[in-house]
Amino acid sequence: MLSRVRGKWSYLAIAALLLFLIIIPFKWFLGQYTVILIFIGIHTMVTVGLCLLMGYTGQISLGQAAFYGLGAYFSAVLTKTHGFNPWLAMLVAALATGGFAYAIGFPIFRLRGNYLALATLGLGIIMAVLFRELDQFTGGPTGITGIPYLSIGGFTFDSPFRRYFLVWFFCLAVLLVSQNIVRSRTGRALRAVHGSESAAESVGINVAQFKVKVFVLSAVYASLAGSLYAHHITYVNPSPFGFLFSVMVVVMAVVGGLASVWGAIFGAATVRILSDEILLRFGEWDVIVYGLILVLVMVFMPRGLFVALKEAYERWRLTHRQRGAEA
Amino acid sequence: MSGPILETRGVTKAFGGLVAVDNVDVGIEAGRVTAVIGPNGAGKTTLFNLITGVYPVSSGEIRFDGVPLDNMPTHKRAALGIARTFQNVLLFGNMTVLENVMSGQHPRSRYGFLEAALRLPKSRREEETITLNAIKYLNLVGLGLYAQRDALSLPLGQQKLLAIARALATEPKLLLLDEPGAGLNRLEKQELGDLIRRIREMGITTVLVEHDMDLVMGIAEWVIVLDSGRKIAEGTASQVQRDKRVIAAYLGEEVE
Repeated sequence: MLSRVRGKWSYLAIAALLLFLIIIPFKWFLGQYTVILIFIGIHTMVTVGLCLLMGYTGQISLGQAAFYGLGAYFSAVLTKTHGFNPWLAMLVAALATGGFAYAIGFPIFRLRGNYLALATLGLGIIMAVLFRELDQFTGGPTGITGIPYLSIGGFTFDSPFRRYFLVWFFCLAVLLVSQNIVRSRTGRALRAVHGSESAAESVGINVAQFKVKVFVLSAVYASLAGSLYAHHITYVNPSPFGFLFSVMVVVMAVVGGLASVWGAIFGAATVRILSDEILLRFGEWDVIVYGLILVLVMVFMPRGLFVALKEAYERWRLTHRQRGAEA
Repeated sequence: MSGPILETRGVTKAFGGLVAVDNVDVGIEAGRVTAVIGPNGAGKTTLFNLITGVYPVSSGEIRFDGVPLDNMPTHKRAALGIARTFQNVLLFGNMTVLENVMSGQHPRSRYGFLEAALRLPKSRREEETITLNAIKYLNLVGLGLYAQRDALSLPLGQQKLLAIARALATEPKLLLLDEPGAGLNRLEKQELGDLIRRIREMGITTVLVEHDMDLVMGIAEWVIVLDSGRKIAEGTASQVQRDKRVIAAYLGEEVE
C-alpha cells in the first residue's frame, strides 16, 4: 500500500521533471539557462554515484573529483593527442577509471569512517597535483584545448542546445540504472552493508566486494560525466577537478538526500544555481558557504531538501484536511 | 543419530593474554537442538564467532558438514549453510521488515549489478522468488502482518523473531542463536520455544546460547557447559544440572 503510493509519487515526479526538462531549453535555448542545465546534468551524474556510495552503502568519499578529472583528461588526451574517436575515448576513459577505482578500492576500503574520508581526500589531492604537474600529458596548468565535439554520423553536438539533450540523455540513463540497482538484490546488499557489516556478512554478503563494486560504479559515473564535460567545454585544465569539486559533490548529495537517487538532481541544481548566481560574490570564501549549507542541511533536513519539501507539503495538506473536517 | 554436522577439535582463541576459548572439542549432532550455557565470560559468543569466522581460530580445527572451515570468510560460511543471530540483534535499520528477510536470501540468489541495472528477466524472476520466500519465513515467525513496517519500529521481542527469520532465509543447515530469549517476557519466551521446535522439524540443526534455564531445559536435547573458555561438562539437561563442576561454576565453589 505504502509502496504503491510512493511509486505513484515518483512516477508523477519523473513525468513532471521530463516535461520541465524538455520545455526549458526551447524557451531559453539562446540564454544562459541551457548552459547551467548542462552542468546540472553533468554534476547530477557524479552526485548519483556518491549517493549510492554514501547514502546507500554508508562509505564516504571526498575524492570524487579525481574520477571526474580522470574521465575528462582521458577523453581530452585520447582524442586530441592520439586521435581517438570521441565515443571510443569516452568508453576507454570509463573502463580505465573504473579499473583504477577497482585497483585502489581493495586497499582503501580496509579503512573505515574518518580514515576512509582522509584516504579519499588524499586521493583527490594527489590526482589534482598530477593533473597540474604531468605537463607532457595534461598540458600542465594551461591544460588541453581544442577537444572535438561528440557527433553521431554527420550530426555534431556543436551547440549548447544540442549538448543539453546529449548530457541529459546520459544523466537520465545513469539515474534509471541507479534506481534499478537500488531496488534490487544488489541494492539490498548495499543497504545491508550500511546497516550492519557483521549482519551483512552473516547473511552471505561479501562486504568488501560490494564496497569496491559500488566505488567502481561511482567512479564510472564520474568518468562519464568528466568526458561529457570535456566534450562540452572542449578545453580542460586542472582547476575544475580539485578539492572544491569533491566538496561540492558531497554538498549536492546531502542537499538532494543521500539515500535518494532522484534527489541528486535537486541537490545538483540547488548547489549549482546557488554557486553560479549567488556564491560568486563570496569569491574565495565560497567554501565556507558550502560548509555552512552542509551543516544546516545535515541538522535540519537530514534526509535532504527533496524529502523535507515533500514532508512539508504533506503536513500542509494534512492540516488543511483537518481544518476542512472541522468546518 | 546421524553424526555431527559441526565438529571443533582443540579450538582455541586468545586475545592477547586472555584465552577466551581454550582447547574446546564439541560435536553438534545433526537435527538436534543443542544449548551452550555457562557464566558470563565463559566464551560462548566467542565460540559462535569462531564457528562463523568473525575471528580466525588461534589453533585447532572446525569442520562443518565434513568440510574444514580454516580461514573461510563469514559470507562463504553463510553460503555453506551456517546462519546466526546476534545478542544485540543487528537488524538492518534502513530497511523494512520484509526487506530484512529478503536480504537473508542473498546467498540463495545469483543475479548481480548488471542484471539489476538493466532489469533483465532473470532479475525479475529471482526477485519474485526472493519475495515469496521472504514472506514464507516472515509468516513462519508470525510477523507477516508487519512486512512493510520499518524494522526498528518493532518491539524488541519481534525484532528478535525478525532476526531469526532473516537467518532462516539464508536456508541454513545450522542455525546459531545468540541469547534469543534475552529481554523477552514469559509469553514471548514460550513462543520462542515453539518456534525453535518448528525449526527443528524443518530439519535445521540449532545451537543456542541462552541464560534462561527454563527455556534451555524445555527445548535443548543436549547441553554443553563452558566456563572460562573450557568445556566443563556436556550431556542431557538433567545430567548437566546434577554435575558438580557445573554447579560450582555457577555458584563459585571450589572443587577438590
